[in-house]
Amino acid sequence: MFEYLTLGIFGLAFVFIVIERFDKSLAALLGALLMVIFRILTPEEAIHAIHFETILLLMAMMILVNIASKSGIFEWLNVKIAAFTKGNPLAIFLLFSLLTAVFSAFLDNVTTVILIVPLTIELVRGMGKDPKPYIFAEIIFSNIGGGLTLIGDPPNIIIGGATGFNFLDFVVNLWIPILFVSILTMIVFLLKNWRTIKPISDKLIDLTIANIIIRKVKIKFVKKTIHLDFVIKVILALIATIIGFMLQGYLQLPNYVIAFTAAIILAIVTTKKINIHESFSSVEWTTLLFFAGLFVMVAGIEKTGVLEQLSHLVANSTDNIFILALIVLWVSGVVSMILDNIPFVTVMIPVIAGIQASFGATDVSILWWALSLGACLGGNGTLIGASANVISADIAKKHGVNISFLGYMKFSLPLTFGILLVCSGYLYFATL
Amino acid sequence: MTSKNKIFSDLMRELEVEVGTRDLTEVVLLSLIDAIKGFKGSKFDNFCKQYSELAEILTNTEPKFGIFRYYFGFLEKEIAGKVCRVSNDNTWKKHAIKKINEVLKNARKLKRDLIKYSDKINVNGKTILIHDHSHTVQDVLVHYKSHGKKFKVIIAEQDFEKTHDNIERLHKAGINFTVVPAYMLSHIHDQIDMVFFGALTLKDTMNFVLNPGALSLITEFHVEKTPVYMFMGIDKFSLWKSKKRAEIFIHRHKRKHAHKPIEYERIKYSHDRVPAKLFKKIITNEGVLTPEKLKKVFMEKFKNRK
Repeated sequence: MFEYLTLGIFGLAFVFIVIERFDKSLAALLGALLMVIFRILTPEEAIHAIHFETILLLMAMMILVNIASKSGIFEWLNVKIAAFTKGNPLAIFLLFSLLTAVFSAFLDNVTTVILIVPLTIELVRGMGKDPKPYIFAEIIFSNIGGGLTLIGDPPNIIIGGATGFNFLDFVVNLWIPILFVSILTMIVFLLKNWRTIKPISDKLIDLTIANIIIRKVKIKFVKKTIHLDFVIKVILALIATIIGFMLQGYLQLPNYVIAFTAAIILAIVTTKKINIHESFSSVEWTTLLFFAGLFVMVAGIEKTGVLEQLSHLVANSTDNIFILALIVLWVSGVVSMILDNIPFVTVMIPVIAGIQASFGATDVSILWWALSLGACLGGNGTLIGASANVISADIAKKHGVNISFLGYMKFSLPLTFGILLVCSGYLYFATL
Repeated sequence: MTSKNKIFSDLMRELEVEVGTRDLTEVVLLSLIDAIKGFKGSKFDNFCKQYSELAEILTNTEPKFGIFRYYFGFLEKEIAGKVCRVSNDNTWKKHAIKKINEVLKNARKLKRDLIKYSDKINVNGKTILIHDHSHTVQDVLVHYKSHGKKFKVIIAEQDFEKTHDNIERLHKAGINFTVVPAYMLSHIHDQIDMVFFGALTLKDTMNFVLNPGALSLITEFHVEKTPVYMFMGIDKFSLWKSKKRAEIFIHRHKRKHAHKPIEYERIKYSHDRVPAKLFKKIITNEGVLTPEKLKKVFMEKFKNRK
């Protein structure tokens, strides 16, 4: 009875999270509260189940990114890159895709697409070209870039929080598949869209249009006041944060302490240029409470022993770590195409921890990387696979570019399967 | 209308709203220089053919910009007529860029001349009303300020972006100003000594094409007998037979009520036509003209152009 009640609450909450009848944080919090009300968990167990390290890291990064964006540095970089392309569609395509991947590795994916997609639409549509291939590339590269680092995508933050893997561990273990996936994606995009993105250097009219648009973008940007001292402080804070993450092993400090230190010091030194109330309000409480609710619900499920049984089932199905890693990669990849990858990864944490325990001293850390790759990159498969996809489609719609679910999927689904195949190849060599 | 024509027309309209016609011309000329620098066409002839096409498009945007016809007409003679005849010359890019730079220099000189003639208006101790976001008017005000003239400005509030553009420019130049909604000016008629306007162009019908809202405001001050001045270079003249209201675009869009579930159609017009006779003086790069004299100058240029 206890198990059925727990699974019932979790299942119902999960359905509401998927159908998004109301905000998913409410569904997760109600599920968590019911776990306590029905005595599945004690209030103390519920509090203990929340990974505060993960929540605090997210909170600190949200504050840090909000203050950094107030400096105008990201728009400045965008405009500089636009000017550097000299209106060449191929250069716009390559540089903005790369910029998206780099931004996503250090900022959250949604912030990244909010910064980059509108400018891309303005540049590309102004030239009379279809911005969709560019937006598709930016969506996919935001998920690829986010998959590289601990702070790039929420699933990685959850995995990092649960395993203790630091920033460097993520980069060292994921850079190879991310690099190959990026190359594959770039080749596919170039082959499919060559006609629209090929250079225009022999077309005087197109070149003139492109240069007028770049000047237009610059004029728009010039109207915004940029304070050099603010920008320098932001750059220093961001560099210090990344170095702090890299040296986490030596510093012996949790990631959230490093991120919070950078955010608070930056807020203090730029206090006259920002409104701290606004920066603190920028924290997405719905996201953080969604995480908290999920952690509590998963703890309830864990208590039933269902996840432990699932771990044993998977672990006993084979002793081949490569096969296990493949299962984790493809299941998480396919699930992330349809469902929110955050609750899925949260559920998978105890499952993989269980498999790890059943393997004893054998190193099965590759399973965590398989989970990360599947969850982060699988989200590329459909328009609802990741928040960045949904937000990009919304931004595009606001700018008069309609991205349909099928229109995106026709291109993204085969590519995502290709991406998961590349990751499978990586897992094979990593487990040799 | 070809797709390239449409792209240019849309782009020019958007930029004109943002930076004004004169700066728009500068943007287009500088972009053309960048384009020529980046051009890697296989043949010199290829460039010449494309340049002619480009000039044709730029002089036939919707609406047509008199200032483009003025400068690109000149460039057409210089580039298509001279540079492109020297087909074996490997330095054609340099020659073409040199010609565009000459045009730019000429455009800047023309602006300086206009500002020089603006000194003929006595603004000391006066309160000037501005409404549109004419960069020429802004430049004239900045010039007055930098020459130690004492005056005040009232900005008649209109579209958010245009009003803010005026506010930013005046604030940056340290010019004393206040902002009053355009529909409340009747309360301060007695405080306003003169009204300054800039325009997109002057048609052969002797109507200026101005920002929307200008006609009612100018009429209001004409009735009040407050002098209204126009600042516009002769390079903006539309030296061709005009079509009826061809330069006025109507933007219809749906808008939602802020608090209630009501959706309604909102209509905006891109420009107003204002008869030249409503202005006391027209300050150009060729001098300060009365409306009658302006007509003579225009007709002379119109004939020469023909």
